[in-house]
Amino acid sequence: MIERCVLFAVLSLTACKREMRDLRSDPPEAAALDQVRPMENRIGGAAPRIMYALGQPYEGNAYQLNQGKRLYDWFGCKGCHAQGGGVIGPALMDGWWRYGSDPVSIYLSLRDGRPNGMPAFGQRMTTDQMWQLTGYIRSLGSYRPSTAAPSRNDEMQARPAENRGPAAAALIARPSR
Amino acid sequence: MIRRFWRRMAWIVPLACSACGETFQSALQPAGPHAASLARLIWSFTAICGVIWLLVMLVLLFALWRRHRPAEARHERRATAIIGAAVAATVLIITGLTLMSYAATRGLSDDAPDPVVIRVRGYQWWWEVTYADRRPERTFVTANEIHIPLHRPVRLELTAADVIHSFWVPNLAGKQDLIPGRNNTLTIVADAPGTYRAQCAEFCGLQHAHMALPVIAEDAAAFDTWRQAQLAEAPAPVTAEQAAGRDFFTAGPCSACHTVRGTSAAGRLGPDLTHVASRQTIAAGQLPTTRGSLAAWIADPQTIKPGNNMPLVPMTPDQLQSVSAWLASLR
Amino acid sequence: MPRAVLRSTQIVLLLGMVMAFAGPAAAADPPALDAASAPRLRAIMALPTERSGANSGAVVAAGTTLFVVTPYPQRVKAIALDRPGFPTRWSYTPPSTPEATALAANMVTTPAVADGRLLFVTGNGHAIALDAQSGTVLWDTIQADVSQGEMLAGPPLVVDGRVILGSQGDDFGVRGAMLALDAASGRRLWRYTNVGPDADVGIGGGFRSVALPNAEPDRGLVTWPAGAWQQGGGGLSAGVVYDTQHELLIHGTGHPAPWQPDVRQGDNLWTSGLFARDVATGQARWFDPLNPHDLYALGAGGSLLQAELDWHGTRRTLLLHASANGYVYVIDPADGRILDAHAFVPVTATTGIDPETGTPQRNPAMDVSTNSTTRGICPGWPGATGGGVPGAGSAAFLPRTGLLYIPASLLCMDFEPRQANYLPGTPYTGANLRTTGTPPRGALIAWDVAVARPAWRVEEAFPLRGGVLATEGGLVFYGTLDGWFKAADAGDGRVLWQFQTGAGIVSQPVAFTLPDGRAAVAVLSGAGGLANPDIDRRDATAAHGAANGLRDLQPPTDPIGRLYVFALP
Repeated sequence: MIERCVLFAVLSLTACKREMRDLRSDPPEAAALDQVRPMENRIGGAAPRIMYALGQPYEGNAYQLNQGKRLYDWFGCKGCHAQGGGVIGPALMDGWWRYGSDPVSIYLSLRDGRPNGMPAFGQRMTTDQMWQLTGYIRSLGSYRPSTAAPSRNDEMQARPAENRGPAAAALIARPSR
Repeated sequence: MIRRFWRRMAWIVPLACSACGETFQSALQPAGPHAASLARLIWSFTAICGVIWLLVMLVLLFALWRRHRPAEARHERRATAIIGAAVAATVLIITGLTLMSYAATRGLSDDAPDPVVIRVRGYQWWWEVTYADRRPERTFVTANEIHIPLHRPVRLELTAADVIHSFWVPNLAGKQDLIPGRNNTLTIVADAPGTYRAQCAEFCGLQHAHMALPVIAEDAAAFDTWRQAQLAEAPAPVTAEQAAGRDFFTAGPCSACHTVRGTSAAGRLGPDLTHVASRQTIAAGQLPTTRGSLAAWIADPQTIKPGNNMPLVPMTPDQLQSVSAWLASLR
Repeated sequence: MPRAVLRSTQIVLLLGMVMAFAGPAAAADPPALDAASAPRLRAIMALPTERSGANSGAVVAAGTTLFVVTPYPQRVKAIALDRPGFPTRWSYTPPSTPEATALAANMVTTPAVADGRLLFVTGNGHAIALDAQSGTVLWDTIQADVSQGEMLAGPPLVVDGRVILGSQGDDFGVRGAMLALDAASGRRLWRYTNVGPDADVGIGGGFRSVALPNAEPDRGLVTWPAGAWQQGGGGLSAGVVYDTQHELLIHGTGHPAPWQPDVRQGDNLWTSGLFARDVATGQARWFDPLNPHDLYALGAGGSLLQAELDWHGTRRTLLLHASANGYVYVIDPADGRILDAHAFVPVTATTGIDPETGTPQRNPAMDVSTNSTTRGICPGWPGATGGGVPGAGSAAFLPRTGLLYIPASLLCMDFEPRQANYLPGTPYTGANLRTTGTPPRGALIAWDVAVARPAWRVEEAFPLRGGVLATEGGLVFYGTLDGWFKAADAGDGRVLWQFQTGAGIVSQPVAFTLPDGRAAVAVLSGAGGLANPDIDRRDATAAHGAANGLRDLQPPTDPIGRLYVFALP
């Protein structure tokens, strides 16, 4: 009995690993994170090597996703893309990406802008912030549910939660284009 | 042994009380009528409850001393009467205290005529302060510091941008929550000049403890002078270094979040910096405002106040120098 | 100009916002378009406009040519009406910049023809004059800074050799402006913003306002918190009308920026009202504040037109403004005095018009504040009438019936202001918005101006966003978002004829006479907005909240717009 209890206690402690909150990158790290190597048409490309060394923190870390969600609201993304459904800019949650769905493409869209009206945010945001926003935007249009979720909406509830993989609906329903 | 205990206590009690003598953040040093009524309430409660405690202790000691007496029927009857009287006294005292408390707190939200209206919006972890005026163009936004005129009621309209915060300036008033999507009000009056420290009193995240706000009570003339100065646009840079700092600020990421009236920087996410150097502290009471602390804050805000929403913006040493020089000139 | 021609020109003015319509062929109203002949209308042309954006403009017929300007990137076509098969006489594609694509999505493309010139504006801020015969460029100037989110809004209006234009960037924190160009050279004659100090706005000695009698200077600056006017919005809204009698340009001003109201305490002048300006100098003459401190980002949208009607026994030329805020205003063009104002749709945002100030009385239950959602605000964005862009969704007045035909939206909305942040060239709005409503969400309302109540209304499943054309023969043409183009009897609203165009209609129908004498009607289909395949309707706030209120609006199978021309046999 006592053995079992001890075993149970030890097992229950194993889940106590706390998710890391990396509050900022060191400046050399941030500089390295900006070193994306895009394809010639600036869609797709290689992520900076340091991204793998850091363990791709902007994809599955709830803190980073949540920072991305805050920045999405703060930097006026909603003015053109609503909460992912689009206004004068295209929808971000339907799984269709004009300029690529991979992190490098989205990072380039944010940093350098795109034709047809997407402004460049490279002079207005830091590298950290743009990667956080990239992670969040990818989660908006993800085909797969994720266990990492940003915080719930504390505003008008308008659409399915990000971590449910909203774009998967496009595979069942008629694609929107 | 016992003597040593008492000797120690003789040291510790005055030491512990010495902190009560601080005037800048203490509910027991009221600087205005609202805080005074609260202080009276605290002292009255303490006194009444102290007296009751003493009485209870005396009765307890008396009971312990008389416990050998055998129980008799007439004693039972007397005990019933005593317990009845005690219950009645308890009800009376609690009702009395409730009424006192009600009377004291009711006076806190009095709608005074012609108040100074200040809208305070809580952010993680700083305060946005808007001085409202009947004339809209005399309305301006500042941050992390409140100036109030003496003897004049000040109505604070409290709300929050993200999570629940609470506004507490113990020398002037009790606590009032700042709740996103709601407007709470709190009226304060200061009768003694001075700088009083306000503090967020509702846990609001990592840097809750570092969310302070100096409240400066000054005479009407000084207040008007300050207000007039705050209404002005930011002064033009004097030195070439300051001008370079302004250019970096308005072109770079700084202007995406901060406003400096009189320049093209009009972001609304971070504190308004139009007159940042006129404030006593930066980062919500975290550091005194000097050129050095400004530079330190800009160079690495996440080490000074981990988790706050100001990012580390990469800069060359020259850029850091010039931006801090310019900000330090925004008086 | 002879009196008779003037009269007929005025009637054409009433047919919509097609002010520049002064071409000789267009001025003659075809008498044959009446209730008896309506069922015989047949489509004689269905020309793709090659763009999937919103066709929110009108075509212009001049002589034997029909001019059409496509949505962005613009392309101008001159279609020969006098040759079989309607070949293209010439076409012109002005240089476009991809950056303006999103911004120009909803612009009104109506061109103007005057003195042998075709005048139009493009989504990237160019004002261009072409030779109407040959299509050669006479001049091409840039009049709006697209990089800041400013665009040229509404159709150009030509008055005595001047081209009147308005700019708009309300959602981007751009101070909108009115400007006049010399029609011959394209040289700028004057330009005044609608927000800012008096010198910028063009307010001088000749300015009077009935509703704002005090003569304090710089009210376009002092009715804002310190510095906020610099991002104040207030672009052209509701189009421009030229009052020949007083030589005044009368135009609406857009909503203040940002949508989040508590960062712009004050009345936010001169946004969300009506301005009258001197046509020669651009100086302001009077102003009507319609929605001081506009809470719902509606501006003075809707339609603005002049009508000659019997008003309390006297025949007068008055301004009729069916406004986005749900009220029909009758205004004296001489001094801007509001003679009458009544709600033409159910309104919850306000409870009526204050007789003292002429401004709507707010309903405290529909107040909005940051981070809290207010539900059930009627009218919902972009308003009870009008398409949210100047010159779109115009009403029409028919002197014969005394009725104002208003294309109305009955949508309501839930509105939640959020923290707005100003970044130059990006939206400065700050609000979550979803529209709500069940059919009927739209109606063609025949408003009896004399007695201030609707004579009849035709209910529609979807809001009406396009304009209305009323013919002298007594027909009212209008289009619906689900693609129907309908003709109703102007007297009682019976729908006499309808045609399915295949894509939503948000444009202004136009009547003209073909060179062989037959009466014709032209309309553009293609709605943009929610019909845009890039919108995901699972987000209730998408397409300015239309994704919620118009969830059941089927997207068109082919989003490319078309120019339809219908004619009597």
